[in-house]
Amino acid sequence: MSANPFDIRTVILAKHAQHVVLIHFPIALFLAAVAFDYLAQWRRDQTLATAAYFNLLLAAILTVPVVATGLVAWQWALEGQKLKGILLMHLVLGCISSVLIWLVFWIHWRVRRHPDEFLPKYRLPIEALGVLLVGLTGHLGGFLSGVNGPG
Amino acid sequence: MRKCVCSATLTAAMGAMLMVLVGSPSVIANTREMVGMVMLLTGSPNVTANTQQSAPATAEVKIDNFSFGPQTLTVAAGTTVTWTNRDDIPHTVVADDKSFKSKVLDTDEKFSYTFTKAGTYPYFCSIHPKMTGKVVVQ
Repeated sequence: MSANPFDIRTVILAKHAQHVVLIHFPIALFLAAVAFDYLAQWRRDQTLATAAYFNLLLAAILTVPVVATGLVAWQWALEGQKLKGILLMHLVLGCISSVLIWLVFWIHWRVRRHPDEFLPKYRLPIEALGVLLVGLTGHLGGFLSGVNGPG
Repeated sequence: MRKCVCSATLTAAMGAMLMVLVGSPSVIANTREMVGMVMLLTGSPNVTANTQQSAPATAEVKIDNFSFGPQTLTVAAGTTVTWTNRDDIPHTVVADDKSFKSKVLDTDEKFSYTFTKAGTYPYFCSIHPKMTGKVVVQ
């Protein structure tokens, strides 16, 4: 008998890896935030800047459960054994990506507290680097999760 | 009897010379078989001694394309099974009952376990739980 996917117990106790599910949210929110921020910079549009800020806020918050579930998966599935190769690279890049997301959010948050200040332009290359690292981490994660496998 | 032993020794020497000269693995295998057959026919006691030495039983499972192959392996008790990761990504081999578990196996890394008791041993990859296999020990 197959489980009802809309049953709350199925949702909470799902056998699939939660890390793999949750990771899509901060990735999408961060990419959208950076796109909005670049557009806001280009168009000098405050609404787009606000959209970028709230996307960044949610992306930063969601990195917490994503990193937590990743570490839990490491402890439970691999019993915390020493990582190497792709797994280690994924862990390191994931942590750096999370720090960059929080750094970008902090830059935006600091400026929003002082409406008379402008967002510094050096944030743009940091955001670009963040997108690059998030993409690379996601690529390795996809490789590890077996999306290219026979299913 | 002495004649037979001499004959076998001569054949073995010729075979060894042939192996050195040719050096091909298939030729070496054929020569060994030939020497063995001649010695069997001549009834040399050395052959009896060799057949009494039983090599430890081994079996291999290949991990490739997110699957264990063969998925179900049937072996005799005392067999050592070796898993080899032929995939480009890491995998593990973990028994459902945790009676054996490997470290993370990168490409071309191996893990071996000797099954001493009869029974069925289902296992999986803890990184990709959809990957499952079974060892049946008779």
